[in-house]
Amino acid sequence: MRESKSVQGTLLATPAMLWMIGLLIVPLILIVVTSFGQRDPDGNVIYTFSLHNYIRLAGIKTNCGDGAAVCFDSLYLRILVRSVGLALATTLLTIVLGYPLAYYVARAPARRRNMLLFLILIPLWTNFVIRVYAWIRILRAFDLLYTPQAVLVGMVYEFIPFMILPMYTSLEKIDPSLYEAAADLGANSLRTFLKVTLPLSLPGVVAGTLLVFVPVMGTFVVSDILGGKQFELVGNLIQGQFLDARDPTFGSAASVILMGMTLIVMIIYTRKFGFGEEVAIT
Amino acid sequence: MSMKKFRCRRGSLGLMTAVVLALFLAACGMPPATPNPIEATVSAPAEEPTGLPQSGTPAAEAPFVSRPSGQQTASGFGCPAPQPKLPVTSTELNLFVWSEYIPQDMLDCFELVYGMTINRSEYSSNEEMYAKLAQGSSQFDLAQPSDYIIAVMVRTGLLDQLDKSRLPNLKNLAPALAHVPGDPNGQYIVPYQAGTESLVYNADTIKTPPQSWKDLWNAEYADRMVFVDDPRYVIGAVLLTEGKDPNTTNPADLAAIKPKLAELIANVRLFDSDSPKSALIAGDVDLGYVYNGEAFLAAQENPAFTYVYPTEGTFLWQDGFGLVQEAPHPDAAYAWLNYMLQPDVFWLMLRDFPYTNPNQAALEYARNATFKVKDADGNEVSPAELYEAYMKSNITNPPAEIWQNGINIKDVGDALPLYDSLWTEVKSGN
Repeated sequence: MRESKSVQGTLLATPAMLWMIGLLIVPLILIVVTSFGQRDPDGNVIYTFSLHNYIRLAGIKTNCGDGAAVCFDSLYLRILVRSVGLALATTLLTIVLGYPLAYYVARAPARRRNMLLFLILIPLWTNFVIRVYAWIRILRAFDLLYTPQAVLVGMVYEFIPFMILPMYTSLEKIDPSLYEAAADLGANSLRTFLKVTLPLSLPGVVAGTLLVFVPVMGTFVVSDILGGKQFELVGNLIQGQFLDARDPTFGSAASVILMGMTLIVMIIYTRKFGFGEEVAIT
Repeated sequence: MSMKKFRCRRGSLGLMTAVVLALFLAACGMPPATPNPIEATVSAPAEEPTGLPQSGTPAAEAPFVSRPSGQQTASGFGCPAPQPKLPVTSTELNLFVWSEYIPQDMLDCFELVYGMTINRSEYSSNEEMYAKLAQGSSQFDLAQPSDYIIAVMVRTGLLDQLDKSRLPNLKNLAPALAHVPGDPNGQYIVPYQAGTESLVYNADTIKTPPQSWKDLWNAEYADRMVFVDDPRYVIGAVLLTEGKDPNTTNPADLAAIKPKLAELIANVRLFDSDSPKSALIAGDVDLGYVYNGEAFLAAQENPAFTYVYPTEGTFLWQDGFGLVQEAPHPDAAYAWLNYMLQPDVFWLMLRDFPYTNPNQAALEYARNATFKVKDADGNEVSPAELYEAYMKSNITNPPAEIWQNGINIKDVGDALPLYDSLWTEVKSGN
């Protein structure tokens, strides 16, 4: 009986597994393989094993112009730092702006709660690019169009639902009797928030952070449209290599670095904040 | 206790899902987005005309007589009948074309008169189009390359030779513009439009008008410029100011201009190939390095927009349709090309995308046509009025010496990666 159940489980999981293998794992392998290749003048990939794309990304140059044999160019490092900075700023802003809203929705009466969730989700029904275009007019009115601030505003707008929803889920699950217990034990509302609400909602913040931080690192549309293509992020760099510069090998190498960086940041992050195990009421 | 445990497991499961999802999003570059989407009107590419585009007297054959097909588009435009009507068995035509660069009435009429469905994919740079075609996606029938990329596509076998016996309406083209430079014998490309790529400024807000490409570094223009997102043209202009060949293949030339290019790029407020006129008209910027059609439309919106032909010479472009190799519907492709080339169809370019028009017969047709149509703003205009505005404007119909001294962007072969990496580096440096 147990065995047949596990066979059933495997069968049920098969479509999703095939999907992941075919559309996630295989492309990832292709990207890694391509990143070691070289381009020909017309932009076709020649599959070799060369590290030159990674050397270029690291900013190590052999043709420096000033006679030095090897020199360092921080260009791509700066793009990476800028992207990480923007992703961090976006994440922080979505938490600061989204948390009170998530809290408000979670504590609202059940009927209104669904209504509010619905309102948060409605913008997602419209195509992302169209909504970004709408921001052109708004930002123009504030004379912010084509500035780094415009990109930040666009990113926060775009990703805030992905922060609110997991935070809401965590907040909504908190048993109201915990608040009563806190009150019975003499905690004021601030103390209740700090000792009960905040720790118990942290898993939502962690999940939201991952859902916001990682995509922001790879997005290029917002900076393209609201930054006037003048605010280069890792996503723009990668996209540009595939479409404008016709160098898929360099674009792939940049993708590998982006994924690697993101993974490292997430590992550090989850090590620090855990997976929720440390969350306990003290 | 048990509740807490449950919560923890839920937490880590949710987290794992989030990690996987996030990785997936990162891998895909997140949203399902096109790089330069919608909004926009024109996006003319670039190619090099070889001669004078002015319409002369039309060919002295039997005069063309437009015949109605009885069909009408949603905008109320009466579709001309195809002349000649080619035998077509396909029911679909797959176009891979510049974003917003074909009149909607032209597309609609073709669908109506041939009972055909047009599937259209759009791009906003030659590089993007080439990158996608080179991946080997051969579902397209026609692509719309311009410039140096035509030579690259011919060289790499992405285009099939045209069977000119199936293109009787090629005769409508002005001889000077009947071939695009990347295809000197006209074996691969049916010309579509031509034009210049130059500077336009707002005379109300710019105190010192630009006269030379060198003026682009003026402090007055800093952060007030829109450029087409077109590496070869921007780099070409900088090469020109330094007295170098805009089609140089010498790495030292490109290395030498890098600081000046970086300085210029830092002063550009916005890169936009789709609709640079939007930022100009809205007042976001006051000076543009744009395709002439964009400048023309901006000037129609606000006469203060003035087009300049810099002293060192102006860049020229020409584009056209090429038959993609292994096109699934070549019969539909030939039908489209002939229909498009008809005088009573192609004049629509004067209304919707006023670049330099190589179709001599269409210009002649427009000159004598006094019926009224609605333009994009809903105003009633006649083809004759449009023709007159077109001929009068030095933007769409530049003086002869502009064409003679014009500069073509050519295929640089093995040096292409040098341009690509130079562009990546200066643009990323901001």
